[in-house]
Amino acid sequence: MSESAIIVLNKATIRQADNIILTDVNLKIEKGEFVYLIGKVGSGKTSLLKTLYADLPLSEGGGSVAGYYLKIIKRKQIPFLRRKIGIVFQDFQLLTDRSVHHNLEFVLRATGWKNKNEIDRRIEDVLEKVNMGKKGYKMPHELSGGEQQRIVIARALLNSPDIILADEPTGNLDPETSDELVELLRDISKNGRTIIMATHQYDLLQKYPARIMECIQGKLVEKSEKLEETESQSS
Amino acid sequence: MAYKEKGTKRRLRSSYITSVISISLVLFMLGLMGLLILNAQQLSNYVKENIGVSIILKKNVKEVEIRRLQKTLDATNYVKATQFVDEETAAKELQKELGEDFVSFLGYNPLMASIDVKLYAAYANPDSIAKIEKDFTKYNPVQEVYYQKSLVHLVNDNVKRIGLILLAFSALLLIISFTLINNTIRLSIYSQRFIINTMQLVGATRSFILKPFMGKSLVHGILGALIANAMLSGVIYISQKELSQVITFDNVEILGILFILILLLGIFITWISTLFAVNKYLRLESRSLY
Repeated sequence: MSESAIIVLNKATIRQADNIILTDVNLKIEKGEFVYLIGKVGSGKTSLLKTLYADLPLSEGGGSVAGYYLKIIKRKQIPFLRRKIGIVFQDFQLLTDRSVHHNLEFVLRATGWKNKNEIDRRIEDVLEKVNMGKKGYKMPHELSGGEQQRIVIARALLNSPDIILADEPTGNLDPETSDELVELLRDISKNGRTIIMATHQYDLLQKYPARIMECIQGKLVEKSEKLEETESQSS
Repeated sequence: MAYKEKGTKRRLRSSYITSVISISLVLFMLGLMGLLILNAQQLSNYVKENIGVSIILKKNVKEVEIRRLQKTLDATNYVKATQFVDEETAAKELQKELGEDFVSFLGYNPLMASIDVKLYAAYANPDSIAKIEKDFTKYNPVQEVYYQKSLVHLVNDNVKRIGLILLAFSALLLIISFTLINNTIRLSIYSQRFIINTMQLVGATRSFILKPFMGKSLVHGILGALIANAMLSGVIYISQKELSQVITFDNVEILGILFILILLLGIFITWISTLFAVNKYLRLESRSLY
C-alpha cells in the first residue's frame, strides 16, 4: 500500500445482501487521479461505489478509503468517512421536503458550519459552478432531472472533499452540459482531488481521456490502453 | 416566488396538526380519567357523608336537654352536622312521602322527635358506625339509634370496588394512550424514512439527524398537552356549573398537579416514541427501506 493511494481495494468481494456482484476486486487509486468506471447496466458500478462510501458492507477482502478501513469501520465513523467523499448519487438523494438552498445548508450544518453568511456564500459559490445560481429557492420536485443532477453535483462540491464519487453524473444532461461538467471535475482533480466517475457516455472517454476501469462479468478490469486502441482503430 | 415551498410547508404543517390533535385528544382522555379518580374520592365522601343516622328521642324530653345533646354531638370529632326534627315536622315529612293524612286517621301522632346526624366520611364504615351507635345510646334523652346497616355496607363495598375498577381502567387507558401516540409518531417518521437515509448518506451524524426530530416532538408534546389541558379546563368549568353539588374542583393545587402531570406525560410519550422511531431508521440499511 503506497502512501499516496487514497482508495485501495484488495481481493474484495462486492455483494448486495446475498448476491455476489463482483469478486476479487483489486483497485488502487492515487491522490489526484481521475478514473472512469464503465460497464453495462447492472454490472456492479453502483455497488462498487456504494461499498466505497460504506453503504454496502465489505465482508470479504480488504479496503481503505481516505484512511478508513472499510472492513472494520464502525457505524459511528461512517459519517466522517462520507464527509471526505463528495457523492453524486445516481438517484439524486435530495431531501424532498426542503428547497435546494436548504438541502445544501443541511449538509453544511451537518458538517459543522455555523456562520450563516459563510454558509450562504458557499452555497452561492457551488450553485454558480453548476450554473444553478438562481434556482436555490426551488423545491427538488420542481426541477428537471438534469437540474436535480446539477444540484447533487453542487452538493458534492460543498466541503471540497478529497474524493468525489460520481455515479453517472451526466446521465440526465445534454452534451454541452456534460462536457462542462467533466471539465469541471477534471479541474477539481487537478487540484489534487481524486475522482471516480461511473458513466455510459463513451464519447466522454475519448474527449477527456483518463484511466478507465471496467466492470465486466463479475470482475473489475483495468482497461485504459485497450479501449483507446480499439476506439482509435474503429474511428 | 417562493409560493411553492410555502405550499409544501403548509401541507407538512397540516400533517403536524393532525398528529398534535391526536396527541392532545389522547392526553385529554387521560386527563378526564385523572379528574375522575380525583373526584371519585370526593364523590365517595359525598355519598358516605349523606348516610344519615337518626337518633330517636324519648317523649317529653325538655328542649334544653335536646339542645345540650345536639351541642355535645356537634362537639365530637366524627359528627359533621346535626339537625333536630320535632314530631310535627317528622309527621309532615312522612305525610308527604305517604300521601296520606295518617295523623287525622290515627287520631294522634305516633312519631317521635329525632336528631338527624351526618357523619364524616372517615367514620361512615360499618365498624365505626356500630361503635358510634353505642356511644349515642348512652345519652339520657336517646330512645334508640337508627340507621340503614345494609346501606352502609353497600356504599362501602361499592366504593372499594369502583376504586379498583377505576385503577385498572386508568392503567389500561395509559397503555392505550402510549400505543396510540406511539403509532401516530411512528407513522409520521416512517413517511420520512428516505429523508433520514439521505441525511446519513451526505455525512450527517446520528445525533445531528435526531436533533430536529426530537425538537419537533418536544413542541408537539407540549402543544398536545396544552390543548388537552385547555379542554380539561373547559370540562371542569362546565361541570362546576352544572354539577356543583356532586363534583367540585375547589382544590386548585391538585388540579395543578394533574395539569403538570399531563404535560410531562405528553412530552415523555412523544419524546420516547420519536427517539425509538427515528433510531430504527437510522439503524436500518438503505436497501431495507423499500
